[in-house]
Amino acid sequence: MSTIKTIRLKGKDESGRMSSRVLEERVQEAVRSGARKIEIQAFGQHGLGGRIFLTDNEKVVIDITGSPGQRVGAMGSPGTMIEIHGPASDDIGWLNAGAEIIVHGYATNGVCNAMAQGKVFIGGSIGSRGMTMTKFNPRLSLPELWVLGSAGDYFAEFMAGGVAVICGHEPQEPENILGYRPCVGMVGGSIFFRGPIKGYSQADAKLVPISDQDWEWLSENLRVFLGKIKMISLVEKLSVREDWQCITARNPMEKKGSKARSMSDFRREVWENELGKGGLIGDLSDLDRSPIPLITTGNLRRYVPVWEHRKYMAPCQASCPAGIPVQERWRLIREGKVDEAVDVALAFTPFPASICGYLCPHLCMQGCTKNTGNLNPVDITVLGKEGVSSKEPQMPPLDGTRVAVVGGGPAGISVAWQLRLMGHEAVIYDLEKVLGGKMITAIPEHRIPGRVLDAELERVRRVIPHVFLGQKLSGKEFEQLKSDFDYIVLATGAHKPKTISVPGSEKIIPALTFLKNARQGQQNVGRRVVIIGAGNVGCDVATEAHRLGAEEITLIDIQEPASFGKERQEAEKAGARFRYPCFTREITDEGVILTTQELIPADTVVISIGDAPDLDFLPEGIATDRGFVLVNEINQTSDPKIFAIGDIVRPGLLTDAIGAGRKTATAIDAMVRGKFPDQQTSWIKKYSIEYSETSERIDYSRMTLEYYDPRATEYNDLSGCASQCSSCGTCMDCGLCEAVCPTNAIERKSLEQGGFERIANPDKCIGCGFCGQCCPCGIWNLVENFPLD
Amino acid sequence: MPARSAFTPSTLSRRDLPWQISWDIHNCTLCGRCTAVCPVNAIELGVFRKREISVSPFGNQERPDSSFSVYYGIRQRTDPGYACIGCNMCNMVCPNNAIEAVKSETTDMLRFHRDRGGQPRTRGGRRNSPESVLDQIKFIRISMLTDPALDAGRHEFELRTLMGRILPPAKAIKAQRENGWTPPVREIYPLLIGGMSFGALSPNMWEGLQMGVAYLNEELRMPVRMCTGEGGCPPRLLRSRFLKYVILQIASGYFGWDEIIHAIPEMKEDPCAVEIKYGQGAKPGDGGLLQWHKVNKLIAAIRGVPLGVSLPSPPTHQTKYSIEEAVAKMIQSMSMAWGFRVPVYPKISASSTSLAVLNNLTRNPYASGLAIDGEDGGTGAAYNVSMNHMGHPVASNIRDCYINLVKLGMQNELPLIAGGGTGKNGNLAANAAALIMLGASAVQIGKYIMQAAAGCLGTEGDRCNICNIGRCPKGITSQDPRLYRRLDPEKVAERVVDVFLGFDIELKKIVAPLGRSTSLPIGMSDALGISHQAAAQRLQIKYVV
Repeated sequence: MSTIKTIRLKGKDESGRMSSRVLEERVQEAVRSGARKIEIQAFGQHGLGGRIFLTDNEKVVIDITGSPGQRVGAMGSPGTMIEIHGPASDDIGWLNAGAEIIVHGYATNGVCNAMAQGKVFIGGSIGSRGMTMTKFNPRLSLPELWVLGSAGDYFAEFMAGGVAVICGHEPQEPENILGYRPCVGMVGGSIFFRGPIKGYSQADAKLVPISDQDWEWLSENLRVFLGKIKMISLVEKLSVREDWQCITARNPMEKKGSKARSMSDFRREVWENELGKGGLIGDLSDLDRSPIPLITTGNLRRYVPVWEHRKYMAPCQASCPAGIPVQERWRLIREGKVDEAVDVALAFTPFPASICGYLCPHLCMQGCTKNTGNLNPVDITVLGKEGVSSKEPQMPPLDGTRVAVVGGGPAGISVAWQLRLMGHEAVIYDLEKVLGGKMITAIPEHRIPGRVLDAELERVRRVIPHVFLGQKLSGKEFEQLKSDFDYIVLATGAHKPKTISVPGSEKIIPALTFLKNARQGQQNVGRRVVIIGAGNVGCDVATEAHRLGAEEITLIDIQEPASFGKERQEAEKAGARFRYPCFTREITDEGVILTTQELIPADTVVISIGDAPDLDFLPEGIATDRGFVLVNEINQTSDPKIFAIGDIVRPGLLTDAIGAGRKTATAIDAMVRGKFPDQQTSWIKKYSIEYSETSERIDYSRMTLEYYDPRATEYNDLSGCASQCSSCGTCMDCGLCEAVCPTNAIERKSLEQGGFERIANPDKCIGCGFCGQCCPCGIWNLVENFPLD
Repeated sequence: MPARSAFTPSTLSRRDLPWQISWDIHNCTLCGRCTAVCPVNAIELGVFRKREISVSPFGNQERPDSSFSVYYGIRQRTDPGYACIGCNMCNMVCPNNAIEAVKSETTDMLRFHRDRGGQPRTRGGRRNSPESVLDQIKFIRISMLTDPALDAGRHEFELRTLMGRILPPAKAIKAQRENGWTPPVREIYPLLIGGMSFGALSPNMWEGLQMGVAYLNEELRMPVRMCTGEGGCPPRLLRSRFLKYVILQIASGYFGWDEIIHAIPEMKEDPCAVEIKYGQGAKPGDGGLLQWHKVNKLIAAIRGVPLGVSLPSPPTHQTKYSIEEAVAKMIQSMSMAWGFRVPVYPKISASSTSLAVLNNLTRNPYASGLAIDGEDGGTGAAYNVSMNHMGHPVASNIRDCYINLVKLGMQNELPLIAGGGTGKNGNLAANAAALIMLGASAVQIGKYIMQAAAGCLGTEGDRCNICNIGRCPKGITSQDPRLYRRLDPEKVAERVVDVFLGFDIELKKIVAPLGRSTSLPIGMSDALGISHQAAAQRLQIKYVV
């Protein structure tokens, strides 16, 4: 025992306090010289007893009296045993790597900071931030801190390993022996403590029961500790197992499990508990506000497809002044009902072949949806021409109503025809010797084969047996008609040619006269013809003049000519020149002199700037406006029993006259019956067409035309034409929507009364709108769902 | 352009639009989800022709042939009324990632045509300018060895601010001695949820925000406050203890105030404060308009108005004609409503006239603070021109006000609340800390919480921004249950909690190195630096390069 070489060092000599550097040098020198026990009387020197590195961890005892400075045993090595006979300053055991340190008294802040190995025994309490940042090295033994009293604030912050034992004997704070906020950031090690605490970082650490094994270790080493600090007498008092508790670090998995209340628990237990069921607005609204997905069905769809079959009018029908549902005729053809498709036109016009097939500018085709896709409109003339052989329908019995129709042109025939179809008697009076008006007298024969017109007029005669031709009506006779008939329809047309008052105007031939004469082969034209007024009638004149031998034909107009269509094409084919603006100053034998002094040589000068009605026969009571008869919406004049239609009302197309006739007949029929007829119960029912006269025209953008071949230019047969009709507004039952629907939601249902309908099954439909976009007929409409609030 | 469309000066091609739908024919399954979800019907099923020309090698017998087939796909509509807004909900629902909206890299032509019928563009959202002075501000004072730098993760922080008029010590002692009146002061969290009305926001959004705020208060002890905006307050909330987390707003439309008045005798708690709105950053100097289609039964009930009518809030309070009058009348009335127990402060849009307002408030003993909403404030429905071009940046405005208070020696007496563009590029904590160090006592957020807590898709690149038309694809600003039920209030509340907790950690990471843990570094401008000399000079902070 006494062989251990001992050296005594004093931290203060005659020259005063020794610096930490010098005392450290002396200690290291003493160890090098073989001293294994060094007794130091300290005077606040820093880092005493640290850094004594000997091989094989040879033991060195450092015995300190006096006042050691900070960091006693800093970077201490295994084998170093430091004993301080009194209290210790800050950071004792700092970065301790194996030294054993005994303090007979308290220690201040920072005990064992970052200690990795070794043991520190404190015979009193410690200050703040003890056992912080301690380490755990699996190769070496665990660091230990034993404290007889209590720990100060922020104990065991970022503790990563080792064991701390806080005995709680005569603690500084009897109510809280681990101080304020211990264990923050603790990731390893365990803390045994005896006495009350006021919390610790629950996020980082947890209380665990002390196992038998732990207790065995604790009670055994407690005895050692008390021995080291010479307090063995406390062993019994401190060895009560029930007095001890243990805190260990949570592992990362345990840290994740937050103790916080879940939001749904909060909502139920706190939020709705305070506010009432349904939360914030549970008292104001009982709407379901629970979460829904982005893609929804049923009532939760934002948009709903609606099958708008026959809700809107097809553009062709809407464009036709006679109101012929052209789309229905093509449908009949697609269904193989060709005769019906041809014959049904007679319900709308007495001249299905003459007008639809030849004379009409085909407003239905101009309005055809296909134009909007740079496609050819469906050719109605093919279907129209077939109508020549249509047999007139069976007539209903006469009901006694009698209507006099003055004028046997297209308007008059149309109204008479319709009236007869409705069961009323119509009698036609006309000035001319032939029935048919301008159709027969003024339209050049090249425009329509005579046999077609004849056949159709023949059919008219069969339907309307009472036609009086060559009848000029005087005022008195007109009064007689009024008393003989229930209604009178004026359809005398316009026959007074308009002309211009320039010198030589008597040399001008009115266009109508020219055309009539031409038809009868009684017109001389000469080589050069000038036509004043380059409208369609002017074009007819030009074409006829050409037929009759004219070589130089000039049409002049004061503005850009309004002529169009077939008439214009024919005139151009005949070599006619169109000139504008040209203002006529005089007509001479040489020709037409313009206000520019230019002479346009002419053998014949024709004027075609329109015709005015001859209203001389009208009785006083009928109002006129600027030379035309004034009518209301249903073509009624100021005398409620007298109607007026056709060019007497305003200049128009043949088809306008046909339409006006039909409209007027419907109005008269309604007046007779006291109500508008139910379309479904009228005679038209025998044709299987369905249409509305009153619905709005379908929007062009609804139809999808990509299914049609833009290179397919002409179809000459009926079924070819029918296949090119997009059936605007009427479902053609192609089944595209069913195929395209992504959720297979579209169902086709047969109806009891015949026919079918389609619906989008709300349980499947997501409101994508595909059905509407793919539909060639524009049937499906995606509408906003009804408001939910 | 489809051949069928009429061609007009406003006829645009897909390339003219700001957002272009990129659709992948190979991956699309034509499931219909994208067109079903698109909030503005910008896409639809397209039916396309495909032409094949077949030519056999010459010498063969076959003649060249042309044939058409039809295929289906997704087509973008080019009508300006249906222009894609870039929300990319189509992409979100697409099972195959076959569709997305891509922002055009060139200047779009649509902007020149957004005035159909002479009605210029209105929208919700933001200023659409990513620039931000706040983002450029750096925190350059890191204490380390000079002061004890703190550890954001370890230290206990008390990041609180005071809302209300704080009496200087002498006056406070005098008032205490004489049992006199002291102005109400609340200790609250320095980040507030700014005024967004019940009506502007959907019920699920509003409830989610309120629930999150209540959770932060009651479960996490963070005294976060939220302003109602001008749209009244649900009667249940008025009568609940949660009212203390609420700042009630009164603005020029006075919506919902009769319900509030009726509830006063039944209130368990005083509200946190009353905010009098005179202006907002989204549309300085302009009023509000809640469109009729958003005024459903619920909104009508809460606001006390008829169903289905458009609700204008005038640009000004109608019975007040000067700052003096406004301050005297409104602050006094609103203070009186709760017996002078509730702080009352005005909110204005940042303006070169802010100092005049502030100076007035300093002389009014009842004024509890001043909220200033900078040009980047948003969320409201506004004219594009107001949104983009009206208003004053918040940083210099707050700075001017703070320095003015310092001159008056009142910087600790009258709190300034800053808002408008905080976190516009995602840097919420940094922007808020910068504003605080420039002199704000608290910071208000609106758009940020919509983005972060509810998944608002708006960006500074003019994405979505249709808050005003009731079609918000996330259900944040819609009154249609078909949309707002997409938003689960609980999930919103959870996100509110996440945002505030995350913000709190970031704010600590900024203030801890400054050595602050218990007092907010309000006006601590020596901590700020910016690498822009003029900005440094203007804000009186350090120029650092």
